Formats: sequence, C-alpha cells, structure tokens
Amino acid sequence: MTDLTQTPAAIPTPTPAPRKGSLMVADKATIRRNRAEARFKAYGIGAICIALIALVFLLFTVIRDGAGAFQQTYVSIPVTLSADVVDPKGNRDPAEMAKVLTMSYGKLMDAALTDWMAANAVQIEGLSQADIKGFFSGQASAELRNMVLADPALVGQQVDATVLASSRVDGMFKGRVTDESAARDAKTSSQQIALARAMEEKGALVTRFNSDFITNPDASDNRPEAAGIGVAMLGSLYMMLIVLVLALPIGVAASIYLEEFAPKNRWTDLIEVNISNLAAVPSIVFGILGLAAFINFMGLPRSAPIVGGLVLTLMTLPTIIISTRAALKAVPPSIRDAALGVGASRMQTVFHHVLPLAMPGILTGTIIGLAQALGETAPLLLIGMVAFVSTYPSAPPEGLMDPASALPVQVYNWATRADPAFFERSSGAIIVLLIFLLCMNLLAIFLRRKFERRW
Amino acid sequence: MMNTMRLAEKAVAEETIKITARDVQVWYGDKHAIKDVNVDILANTVTAFIGPSGCGKSTFLRCINRMNDTIDICRVEGRIALDGEDVYDRRVDPVQLRAKVGMVFQKPNPFPKSIYDNVAYGPRIHGLARNRADLDAIVEKSLRGAALWNEVKDRLSEPGTGLSGGQQQRLCIARAVATQPEVLLMDEPCSALDPIATGQVEELIDQLKTQFSVVIVTHSMQQAARVSQKTAFFHLGNLVEYGDTDDIFTRPQDPRTESYISGRIG
Amino acid sequence: MPIFWTVLIVLALGALGFVLGQRRALASAGDDHRKLHSRPIYYGWHVALVTAVPALLALICWLLIDNESALRLAPATLVIAVAGMGFALAHISRAFRARNAVEQVIRGLLILSSTIAILTTIGIVLSLVFESISFFRLYPWQSFFFGLEWTPAFQGNSSLGVLPLLWGTLYISLIALLVAVPIGLFAAIYMSEYAAPRIRGLVKPAIEILAGIPTIVYGLFALVTVGPLLRDWIAQPTGLGEGASSVMTAGLVMGIMLIPFVSSLSDDIINAVPQSLRDGSLGLGSTHSETITKVVLPAALPGIVGAILLAASRAIGETMIVVLGAGAMAQISGNPFEAMTTITTRIVSQLTGDNDFASPETLVAFALGLTLFVLTLGLNVLALYIVRKYREQYE
Repeated sequence: MTDLTQTPAAIPTPTPAPRKGSLMVADKATIRRNRAEARFKAYGIGAICIALIALVFLLFTVIRDGAGAFQQTYVSIPVTLSADVVDPKGNRDPAEMAKVLTMSYGKLMDAALTDWMAANAVQIEGLSQADIKGFFSGQASAELRNMVLADPALVGQQVDATVLASSRVDGMFKGRVTDESAARDAKTSSQQIALARAMEEKGALVTRFNSDFITNPDASDNRPEAAGIGVAMLGSLYMMLIVLVLALPIGVAASIYLEEFAPKNRWTDLIEVNISNLAAVPSIVFGILGLAAFINFMGLPRSAPIVGGLVLTLMTLPTIIISTRAALKAVPPSIRDAALGVGASRMQTVFHHVLPLAMPGILTGTIIGLAQALGETAPLLLIGMVAFVSTYPSAPPEGLMDPASALPVQVYNWATRADPAFFERSSGAIIVLLIFLLCMNLLAIFLRRKFERRW
Repeated sequence: MMNTMRLAEKAVAEETIKITARDVQVWYGDKHAIKDVNVDILANTVTAFIGPSGCGKSTFLRCINRMNDTIDICRVEGRIALDGEDVYDRRVDPVQLRAKVGMVFQKPNPFPKSIYDNVAYGPRIHGLARNRADLDAIVEKSLRGAALWNEVKDRLSEPGTGLSGGQQQRLCIARAVATQPEVLLMDEPCSALDPIATGQVEELIDQLKTQFSVVIVTHSMQQAARVSQKTAFFHLGNLVEYGDTDDIFTRPQDPRTESYISGRIG
Repeated sequence: MPIFWTVLIVLALGALGFVLGQRRALASAGDDHRKLHSRPIYYGWHVALVTAVPALLALICWLLIDNESALRLAPATLVIAVAGMGFALAHISRAFRARNAVEQVIRGLLILSSTIAILTTIGIVLSLVFESISFFRLYPWQSFFFGLEWTPAFQGNSSLGVLPLLWGTLYISLIALLVAVPIGLFAAIYMSEYAAPRIRGLVKPAIEILAGIPTIVYGLFALVTVGPLLRDWIAQPTGLGEGASSVMTAGLVMGIMLIPFVSSLSDDIINAVPQSLRDGSLGLGSTHSETITKVVLPAALPGIVGAILLAASRAIGETMIVVLGAGAMAQISGNPFEAMTTITTRIVSQLTGDNDFASPETLVAFALGLTLFVLTLGLNVLALYIVRKYREQYE
C-alpha cells in the first residue's frame, strides 16, 4: 500500500528516474504477455490455414476423382454387318430389321474383335470368349443397332465402328483397373488388360473427350461407362425455372409489404419471426412437406420437377425475402421523402424509385438463393427424384410433370451404387455442379460490384 | 511525513519536463493532420489542448501513448519522448508505454463487467496486485481517487454500464488511475456529460494533478481556463501557441489565438 | 394440360381488359386524359387485375382441393374472368379513382405473398402432426420416445425407438461443433481483429466458398476420401473400428462445413462490439489478445452463444453428410469410430423407395421429422432471441 502512494510522488525529481525501468527494455511480464499475444495470433492463423487446407483438399479430391468422367475410351475397329444376322429376311425392311435383338449385334462385335486380332496378329494366352464379350460396353451393340436402323444401306458392308469400351477397359486407362485389381474382379481379367494394351498400341482404342457424359441420361447399374447427366441437368434447369418464376415475385412482394407497408403489430412480428425460423428449418423437413402436401394431398406425380420446384421455392423464399429486405432497407429514406414530396402515392414511390434502386441487391440475393436451391439434395430424395430415369422429360409445361432427376441427386444416386466406376461419374457430376455454382456466384459478385451504391 | 515530502517535491516538480515533442508530423493516408508540433509537457501539471474541431488536438493526444498504432493508415514522424525516451523507438513496446501513459476517452466506455472488475482490469493484466486483498485496496483507492467510492461502494458487483453518464466517466478515470500511470491523457472527457457531472469531473482533474501529469483535450475554453495551468492552441494541424493558461486567455500573442478566444473562428 | 391453357386464356383476357379499360376511360373523358382522376394506364390495370386475379385465385383454390375438379371447373374460371372484366369495365367513369383501386389490389397481393411464409410453417406442422398421429395410433408413443432399439422390418413387428438415432445425431453434432467452433471462432477473431484489409479481402471469400459448396459434395468427400483415410490411419491401427463410415467421419466433415457458418456469424458479432471498448482496454496498456479475450469476447459472448446454437441446429438437421458418411447402424456407443445413424438418415431411408402409408415403418419417418422439427425450432428460437437481445444492447 505504501509504495502505491509513494510511487507517483517519486517521479518529480530533477533527473527523472523512470518508475518501472526504461521503456526501451521490455520487462519480464511484458515479454511473457507478448509471447501469449504471439501464441494467440498463431492460433488464428492456424485456424484459417486449417479451413483453407480443408477447402483445397476437398476441391483437389473432387477434381482428381472426377476429371476422368470427361474422358472416355472407345473401341475403333472394322465391323462386318453381315446380312444374315442383321437382316435375316433379306428385304432391307426397317420394320423387319427392328425385330433383330440387340444381342445379335453384340455377337457381330465379338466376331469383329476376333477378326481384328487375327488381322493384326495379336495373340493372348488364355483369352476367353467372356473376356472378348466383356470388352465392349453393353451400350455398344445398341449403338451399332441404331446405326444400322438409321441407315439400312450399311447392311452387308464393313464399317469402321467407334463404340464404347466397357468400364473395366476404360478404367485401365484411368489407372482404376490394374493387374492386381483384375485378379480380384470377376468382370475382368489380366488377359483382357493385355488385349487392351495391344489394341492401344495398334490404335484400335481411342480415348477422347466424353461429350456423352454431358448429354446422356443415366444408365443402368452395369453400364457406368454410358451414364451421363443430361436428364439430371434438364431436371435441375426445370426446377430452377420454377423457383425463379415463383420465388422471385413472391419474395419481392412479401419483402415490399413487410419493409414498406406493414404496420408494426403482432401479426407482422409473427411473420418476421416465422421467416427467420423458416430459414433455419432443416431442408429435409421441406422434403417431408413436399411429400405430404404436394404428392399425397394434392396428388402431383412423384419424381416430377414441378414438385421439386415447389419445394425448393418454399425453401428459397426466406433467403430471398431476407436479402430483399436488406436491399430495400439500404435505400435511404430521403429518396422516399423526395418522391412523396412531389405527390407520388406510397405505391408509386416504392415501384418507381425504391424498387429499381434496390434491384441489384435483390438480384444478387436471388442468385445466391438459386445457387443454394441448385445444390440441395435431401428434400428431393423424399419426393422420389432419386428414381432411375433414363428418358428425357418433354418440353415445358407438360415436361414439368414428367419424371426427371436433379444434378445433386444424381451425384447421390451414383455414390450409392456398388460399381466403383460410378464414383468417377459422381465426382464428374460434382464438377459440373460446382461450375454452375461458380458461374452463379461470379454473376452475383459482378452485379454487386457493378451496381453497388454507397449512400 | 509523507505529506511534507510530497509538498517539497511538488515545488521542485513544477518545472520538470515529462513529455517532449519535437517536429511531430502525422499523416492520415495523404492528409497531413499534424504539422511540426513542438511542445514540452510538465509533470504534475494540467495541460489543456484547445482549438476548433478537426484541428488535430485529439490526434496529437493519441500519438503520445501510441493509440494511433491501431489505425492502419496513420503515420507518425518526429520525436515524442517520455522522460527522455523516444516512445516511437523500435524497441519500445506500446503495451508498456500505455501502462505508463493512461487514457480516458470522449465517451464513457466502461467494460460490460462489474464495477469492481472494471477498475481491477488494469492491475490484473499488469500484475500489480500480489493477492486479493491488495487488489481490493487498489480498487478502493482508485475509486476514492476518482471520487466515486461513496456512490458505488455498496454495489461493486453491479455492471459498470448501469451507472449514470458522469459516474461512468469517473469509473473510467478510476480504471485508468488504477493502472498507476505517470501521465493521464483525457480526450474531451466531459463532452458527453451534463454540467453537474462535468463539474465533478473537473474537480477530480484538479486533484489528479498532484499525482500525474494530466493532458486534457477540450473544446470548451472555459473548461481549459478552469482546470489547466498550461494551454496549447491548435489550428489546422499547427500548434499555434503554447504557454501559461492565464497568458493565453488574457494576452494571446498570435492573432489566430485571439480570434478563436474571442469567438471569431471555431 | 388444360390448366395451363386456362391460365393462358385468363392472362390473355386480362391483357384485353387492360387495353379496353384504357380506351373506355379515355372515351369517358372525351379523349382528354387530364380530365381523368388517374392516369389512363391505371384504368387499364384495374380492369386487367379484376379480370385475372379472382379467376386465378379460384383456380388455385380448386387445384388445392382436388386435381380432378379443377379440370372440370376450368370453364367456370373463364366465366369468372369474363364477368370480372364486364364488371370492371362497367365501373369506369371519369371520376372513378382507378389508381386507388389498383393500389388496393396490389396491396392485397403483397399481403397475400407475405402470408406464404406463415402458410409454409402451417403446412409443415400439419403434415408432420397428422401423419405422426396416424403413426402413434399404430405404435405406442412410449416405445418410440423411450425405445432403445431401432430395427425396422418389412413384415411388421419392428422396434422403432428414437433414442439410438437421437444419440447418433447428437454425438455427430457434438464432434462437428468441436471442430467448427474453435476453428471458426479463431478464424473470425483473426480476420476481424488482426488481418490487414488485403488479406481479409482474400481469405474471407475463400472461407465462404466452403459455405457455398452443396452438402452432397461434403457427403461424397466423407464417403470417398475422409472415411477411408480415418479408417486406414487411425481406426484400424488403434483397433477402434473397421469401417470407413463412422461418427468421426461424418462429424469431421460436418465440422468443416460449419466453419464458415460459425466464422461469418462470429465475425458480425465481434464487429458489433463498439470500438470504444477496445480503445479503453488498449489505452490501459493491455495487449491485443488480452483485449480480445478479456473485453471483446465477454462482451460478444451472448451473440457467440447464439451463433453456436444456430450451428448446432444446422448440424442436427444436416442430412447428406450423415447419409453418406455416418453409416446405418442404430446403436448407442461411445466409440466415435463406429458407424451410427441419425434421425435425418432414417427419414431418408424410410421415405425413399416404395412407401406404404399405412405401415408404421413408413409413418415413423413423420414422427422422426416432428422430433427433428421441434428440436431445431427450439434451438433456432432460442438462438435468434439471444442474438436479437445482443444486438439491441449495442444499438
């Protein structure tokens, strides 16, 4: 206690002796505290680094696993379309030819491969007939058949066919299938791999950009090489259109009412609390709502984009309302006063002045809401969008009722299939999904930068 | 005995220089906020900085304990020395400096903690108390020193934010005093207070100068005249005039000072 | 698709009404629009709105009630539209306050839009409650809420106890929060208190990318990458587990997903602490970290607690990560490297595929949904209340 009272008094001497030592020398306590400071700062940097590493690792694995989906291996060999197989009646009548089963074309392909081996002097010890048959994708014979039916003049001729190789052959080129894994896999063998190597050397196997992945519909469990995201992208597009058409006007209207007209009373309080809570309700609950209300109660079809679109609309509305209200709030009251001052009605003030000024903010919020909706999976599982859909939905409006898939659901669907070849497709679909999301977010950032106003 | 010693020393201290500023320049980005300021601040004296708003008086005040370090775009040149040691020297830790040069701000800013914890904050982080009894003593002494003890002694555990404006500001002064600084910087400490609270704080400042060197920024000339012994007049970033308060207010040397004091610029 | 055509025809009638309304209004004023009460366009809008709005509302009502009757009543819709147009046209005169009338209708539409949020909530509650009631008719509620076993079987006679699912949900959420809260909080502190504006401008959007990635991507990440990694490097060497799907896998990945959520909420909250408090503390000679831990964080505590509760509600309701990463074993165990299952996973598995809405195995999903909804709603209401109180303190 005494030194407390004395110390201040000790300062005023002619040559001042600093109380706690020189400022130039850090005392012990300060050194200790500065170490704690450095530690604390390091925790912060560490936390940020962990988050960034996680992000980079996540993106890296997706791209590593998914890049393969954009490359596909094709067999390119001459095939003799022998007339007694494809056109047993010999009259070149497409209706008659259509009766020939896909399986017969498969035999043609097998024969073509055997011929090619003979012609190129490729001999592989222990190569079985199953290996030759399994060399082609199940899709290959169907493609050949379609080719013939489209152009009956090809019958009897030898054509250079380029058809899908099986996923095992494809996997060999992507490093997924090796001699070791082939030994454990009933669907391939080391002989098949040797054949593939030989064919690659002679240029009978080509690997090129896989445009089918973008345009094809989903394929069945044993044809991963033919599966594509066409139907899923179309389904997602339909749903985004529904969300845009419904959620934007309703969201903006609701925000205008709440922000510009609503009296402050219990009812509007209730709406506000409601909206902030809805924004935090788990998405799967919206799926249950969709199932119970739209499918069971209103009788809309399962797996249809219209149901998915409605569910996503209800999910996106709170996001759009919250961002729209923020945009409206950012327009300064002086603008409203100015318009009201020249005799505009409140409605005119809002629609002529406030709304146009808030539009960039509203659009940004809407795009971000749409991006969220595009990536949403859980509610769509419950309304049956996980079903296997191999035909394209027709054009809107009828197409909105047709079964379709959605990009994120397709990712889930493939991720749950047994064949590891589907993992590649799954990651490939994610890459497409992420590219869409990136574009939407860039658009939102662009809009914000371009039109952002500081009052 | 202690009292006689202090009185004796006080007489000597009248002319002891505590802070020396030479050719101080401050830039905020491109803006040259302080130009060529030279000033000597004495120990155990109340020095008032006056001048129209935006003249740089607060900026200069914040340079003394390096509070401007927290502003990224702020740059300080020249030399400010505390007891002959340059506070902007590379070796100086601003934390140690601020322990010696305390600060009270324009708006009362008690922490959202109890009154006791507010005052005990400084002693705790600087490790001034050996034990709880020590800390209690420091808190009581500081609150007494800030003329607040009698008002709050029964509710030390209540939040500091629940006090009135004047009480809050005195709490902030007590908080600064508890750290046992050598210099106390006050940035318009009464601007958010009503006249009665202002009077209480001014009275307090007068007592504080027996222990510290007090530097107060104020926009009120009457306040400067009431509480200070030395006055510095700032105008557009320049230190126009510095001298005894009585001289500045009765016999200003510079026409700008005179205009300000007579109310023509402000 | 007759409904689509009905809508189109009604809209066309509305457009026709718009033109006719303007013409008629101008005619009534002798082609001098200055003599009209409102600008001519408002007379047009008035007729268009009175034509289309009641007809479309009626159509929506019929659709909501029953799909079939909507088809039969499509002609009635057109009748309503035409009647509306006739009524509105007859009303038009020079003194008619068309603008006020139009604004009334628009105002009504705005109010209607704002009630959709309420209707959604009501819809959620009704669909959950009704089906849950049918479930509890078939299955005793005591066994649901206090049952320790979850073994659904197609033939019936299933044990449908929620406790193992609740345990899995909470365990995974806990791990997720243990990952996300320290990392998110420290990242927010560093960005708002230390980082130079340039660094902040780069790092903040980068971390927010994590928030923009769909959860299905995290799910696949858990399934393909994190799960096998944890199994090969930790679970198998230590003998704690054999599978790639585990509580740890799901929790870890969910934690990564929640980092930006925690960090951006905390960032807002830390920024709401007034600068004067920081100045006060720094002015007393405390270091930056002392200022943060002793002044800023205690002041921001209620807000941060609210943010953590919101994150917890997110974690509990998260679906895709647990569907792909947590496994399907309903069990109560303390070992984080074992597979467990959650409420959301079970909802998905009970409701995908062919559903029989008369069996308890399907209906239990609604009871699970109700449990989930009540749980998250409680957390949200609490969190939003705390955050709102916190903001009021500094406004």
